[in-house]
Amino acid sequence: MSISKISEVEFGAELPVFKPDTGMDNVRRFATAAGWNGPRFTDHEAARKEGLPGALVPGIMSQGFLAAMIHRWAPEAAIENVDTVFRAPVLVDESYHINGVVTDVDEDTGLVEIDLTVANDAGETRVFGTASVRLPS
Amino acid sequence: MDVDIAAAREKFLNREFDTKAFEVTAQNIVEYARACGELAPKYTDPKHPDFQAPPTFASSFIAGRHLPQDYPRFGGLGMDAGKGIAPKAPLRPGSVTGKSHIHDIYTKTGRSGRMVFTVIRMELFDQDGTKVADADTRVVSREKPTQ
Repeated sequence: MSISKISEVEFGAELPVFKPDTGMDNVRRFATAAGWNGPRFTDHEAARKEGLPGALVPGIMSQGFLAAMIHRWAPEAAIENVDTVFRAPVLVDESYHINGVVTDVDEDTGLVEIDLTVANDAGETRVFGTASVRLPS
Repeated sequence: MDVDIAAAREKFLNREFDTKAFEVTAQNIVEYARACGELAPKYTDPKHPDFQAPPTFASSFIAGRHLPQDYPRFGGLGMDAGKGIAPKAPLRPGSVTGKSHIHDIYTKTGRSGRMVFTVIRMELFDQDGTKVADADTRVVSREKPTQ
């Protein structure tokens, strides 16, 4: 169910899980659009030569995934800020899922706070994020 | 507060050290939005009357200089510790100017020693001078513990 106004949001509610496309083709498309097309993001072999375990999903792409997840949950949400902490690499061609939970609802200001995590299939958190979004009353 | 941090804050906080111009195209916005998984036409269809970049787009701008020329290293090379973005107005295709300054310097100390965090803020303005976003990058330098 998508959210259209703040009265529909409950404290502790979980956002629908989002599985982002972290495949190489999509990461290359993102990297070109964002101007971040260095080989560590677009070429596994080149990344390994830099001592990395494989090509990395750019941190700013993970940030973009978080915003897209919020928009899928609440298409009318105006994002006031998104803050991300990069705890460990997110690797291209590996599978991840993003969970989100509402941690605060202020109907007076229209603001909703959300905690978000990007985790791999082993359940290890790679990116932690918080977002503040404004919803219509 | 540690003496070196207080001195760095005094010298560097809120002083602009880089200005860079960027060009944003509709194609860049659409490709960025689709790759992130955005579905709304205002991010994916240039013909939409409110077509604009997704709110995190401004995080992708890279300054010409990452830190002021004489900024201290605090014991090591800095690593990207995170990013924050605060959109202020719609970012649409056209020219954008990024102005960077050090927004904050602070420390955290744990068993592995002191970590120094530097928050670099790029303020972004569109061609009309309207502020469209604050884009923060946190860089952490981890000092080696004293023996």
